[in-house]
Amino acid sequence: MIKRTLFTIFSVVVLASAQFLPVQAAPIRQGHQPATPIQHLVILMQENHTFDNYFGTYPGADGLPAGTKMPVDPNNPSAGYVTPWHLGNSTITDLSHSAPTFKDQYNNGKMDGFVSALNSRNQDGKQAMGYYDGTDIPYYWNLADNYVLFDQFFSSARDGSFGNHMYWVAAVPPIAPKGQKLNDVLADVPTIFDNLQAAGISWKFYVQNYNPTITYRDQTSSGSKASQVVWVPLLNFDRFIDDPTLSSHIVDLNQYFIDLNNGTLPAVSYIVPSGASEHPPSNLMSGQRFVKSIIQELMRSTSWDSSAFMLAYDDWGGWYDHVTPIQVDQFGYGPRVPVILVSPYAKSGYIDHTVLDFTSMLKFIEQNWNIAPLAGRDTNANNFISAFDFTKAPRLPNFLPLGRITVIPPKKDPTNVIYLGYGGALFLAVSFFSLANFRIQRTKKRGTQQVTK
Amino acid sequence: MLNVSERVFEREAVKPRALALVNELVISRVILLIAMGAGAFLRIWQINAMGYNTDEAVYAGQAAAIARIAGLKEVFPIFRAHPLLFQFILSIVDRIYFSDLAGRLLAVIFGLATVLITYELGKTLYGRLPGALAAIFMALMPYHVIVSRQVLLDGPMTFFSTLTLLMLAKFSKTHRSVWLYAAGGSMGLTFLSKETSIVMLGSIFVFLALAPEIRTRLRDLILAMVVMVLVIAPFPISMILAGSSTTGRSYLIWQLFRRANHPWSFYFTIVPPAVGILLIIFAIAGLYFFRHEHSWREKLLLAWIIVPLVFFEIWPVKGYQYLLPIAPPLALLAGRTLGRWIQLARGKRFVSPVKTLFNQPAVYWLMTGAVVFSLSFTSWRQIQPETSSTLLAGTGGVPGGREVGVWIQEHVPLKAHFMTIGPSMANIVQFYGEHPAYGLAVSPNPIRRNPSYDPILNADLQIRNSELQYLVWDSFSADRSPFFAAKLMSYVDKYNGRAVHTETITVKDKAGNSVIKPVIIIYEVYP
Repeated sequence: MIKRTLFTIFSVVVLASAQFLPVQAAPIRQGHQPATPIQHLVILMQENHTFDNYFGTYPGADGLPAGTKMPVDPNNPSAGYVTPWHLGNSTITDLSHSAPTFKDQYNNGKMDGFVSALNSRNQDGKQAMGYYDGTDIPYYWNLADNYVLFDQFFSSARDGSFGNHMYWVAAVPPIAPKGQKLNDVLADVPTIFDNLQAAGISWKFYVQNYNPTITYRDQTSSGSKASQVVWVPLLNFDRFIDDPTLSSHIVDLNQYFIDLNNGTLPAVSYIVPSGASEHPPSNLMSGQRFVKSIIQELMRSTSWDSSAFMLAYDDWGGWYDHVTPIQVDQFGYGPRVPVILVSPYAKSGYIDHTVLDFTSMLKFIEQNWNIAPLAGRDTNANNFISAFDFTKAPRLPNFLPLGRITVIPPKKDPTNVIYLGYGGALFLAVSFFSLANFRIQRTKKRGTQQVTK
Repeated sequence: MLNVSERVFEREAVKPRALALVNELVISRVILLIAMGAGAFLRIWQINAMGYNTDEAVYAGQAAAIARIAGLKEVFPIFRAHPLLFQFILSIVDRIYFSDLAGRLLAVIFGLATVLITYELGKTLYGRLPGALAAIFMALMPYHVIVSRQVLLDGPMTFFSTLTLLMLAKFSKTHRSVWLYAAGGSMGLTFLSKETSIVMLGSIFVFLALAPEIRTRLRDLILAMVVMVLVIAPFPISMILAGSSTTGRSYLIWQLFRRANHPWSFYFTIVPPAVGILLIIFAIAGLYFFRHEHSWREKLLLAWIIVPLVFFEIWPVKGYQYLLPIAPPLALLAGRTLGRWIQLARGKRFVSPVKTLFNQPAVYWLMTGAVVFSLSFTSWRQIQPETSSTLLAGTGGVPGGREVGVWIQEHVPLKAHFMTIGPSMANIVQFYGEHPAYGLAVSPNPIRRNPSYDPILNADLQIRNSELQYLVWDSFSADRSPFFAAKLMSYVDKYNGRAVHTETITVKDKAGNSVIKPVIIIYEVYP
């Protein structure tokens, strides 16, 4: 027992100190230099919102169609309908967002079970039809105004967080055949980080409030902190837990700021939140502050000119989205999620309609750094290269405010009034001086003439 | 009828007088030429060695906003506290060529024009020589030199105020009402330069009341007032048309109720050395020694000095440059004293050596030289680039201010927001850095703050929300507001502040050694 305790303490100390050790990444192997000016890709995965929930009323985007209404009971039209409604400061709950819930909401492609699926799970189904707008998530709308908003970005799996996070790192679902443990299956599943490591390309997985002692091995005893194992899928892989050359890349988010400060931001950075995840019912403003701090520090770092930052949401969270997900295989796609690209090379105020999913992020990494694909999903995924404009010089960083930038109707331009008014005043005064002078000169002249006479 | 011998005598007697007049003309012109040359030199020497101070930044920023200069029109509102005549003129210059030097050169032009007007006024009141002496005193006077090197409203205000004085002098001398109307127009321009000059209206009425020999018809007075009001009209009209009509009113209310910023003795300790102690002595001496010659002329000049002096002494808000309009009449009184002494001295010898001495023109020329030397020496010292890490508002540029702004423009992301100790540095950051900046010392209480400034309601929260990303400490504000300087540094400590840029100056320590001292430090904060 004592031995076990001592071993646990030793393990904790080793793991905890590992994150402060400099990552000994091998130099980038030949052939893996970035194909675009993007030398740093940073992806932040937030939680549980659909595109319509966040940008359903965003001008120009494929948002909530006019006349949208959701039956309370798809089998009984007389039960009434729920139309999309502005959530604002309404109290919300964590809507059910499991695979069975989505199945009911999807209703064989009819997409009419969003209310009933929740009602049948003893939740207020009306909430699913709620949406936010620029007054609720002003920072994100500001980002969309200035950078790129994707309106055809689907979650990879018709499932909750874990499945989608797995696609994000490995392009496969976390499926273990009966009788096998998931971690045993994952031992043979390559992730993007294995390939990056092999290619000598630097990477880090930044975790807000990271606790190295919480892995899949003791997930059940971690209580509310267990989300770390879901949101950091690498903590389900034995090699990423036990092998210091890999585990040392999973670090606390503080290291992100240190790396930016030191100019040592890796080529590929994944970030997951802790408290500020926007997972319902958490506060959206906290999430925006968190995202803003991450973007701003990137902007004022030396890495900005060669970076791309992506803000994404891992699953639909039970919210309504009007676009029927494309069926690419038995697991996906899931509903659309909001995704924003912020980069000095990102097009300005652009809405990208390319069909994408989380494996598109892998696709970009693979194509930018010339890495082999991991699985069928990422092989077939579209890249989001269309969101960049590499023909232009990198844009200057732009600290967008947390408040919505509204186009204030211009006050009457006072410039003309000032020029006319003050110019007129000068003219009037000078006229009086001239008049006075003229009259005096004339009088003098008359006086001289009279004297001469 | 004079006989022949008498006529010859008269011609001989008149000859030296005529020659004296010719000499006076030549001498006056030479003095005026020297005044203009030396005045221009003192005003232009190293004029742009340092960046703008806070007031300059505000006025130049307003001018840039009127001229729609990108980067500045977004951070500087056009309407703040004062009328916009100078800013309007500067905006025309900005449209042709925008730089901080242009604003200062425009101020110099107004300064030199004031010297010329002073000469003209002196000539009108007392003749060429006193006028020329007054002009050279004005040209070299540290008070006027310092202010007219800066983009401040007081320089143009003094120019138009002196012009008004000239118009009044011409009216008083000729009794032609057209000069009174012109004085009304000029007074209007004085007001449009800076609204505090309205106090000069008091000077005019005091003068007219105390000089019964200047007969003024009520109709003329009313017409002159109408002209003045017509000239002033663009100030309120432009504000009303632009929808900013409350700005001026709020500013007036704030000025009326704000706490005194300097002790009552401020002007008595600051202004005399700046005007010149010797000059003041000669001005007063003339009033005493030539009291038998007193006329409306002295009443006019004294009204122009005493009314603003009393007003600003009572007014709780005091500023270094506020009394500048009294400089020309003071210079004139001194010029009149020395000029008259020079004119009266015949060079005769008397039994009394004292009487003989004070009958020699050379003595008075020496006295004049002493005034000229003392003024130019002080001015020369004061126009040298600042080597102090503290500053009195209105006395010059701020070391490092421009350099900090250039750094901000090159290194700080767009829409980044700055917090400074006080609004003074915020103005400089806004002008040179073209980024919004807010002073921590600006009170959230509207009664306690200049309505031109936006307060920081909750600095801690705004830093945590990443709404304020850069904090600026500067030695000038820290010297004035140690409390807010400490508060700002507490945020730097709390939010992992990292100094990203420092401006330094070299100063002498107590032992006389040169030491490098930081004057402005920019911190990035990481909430």
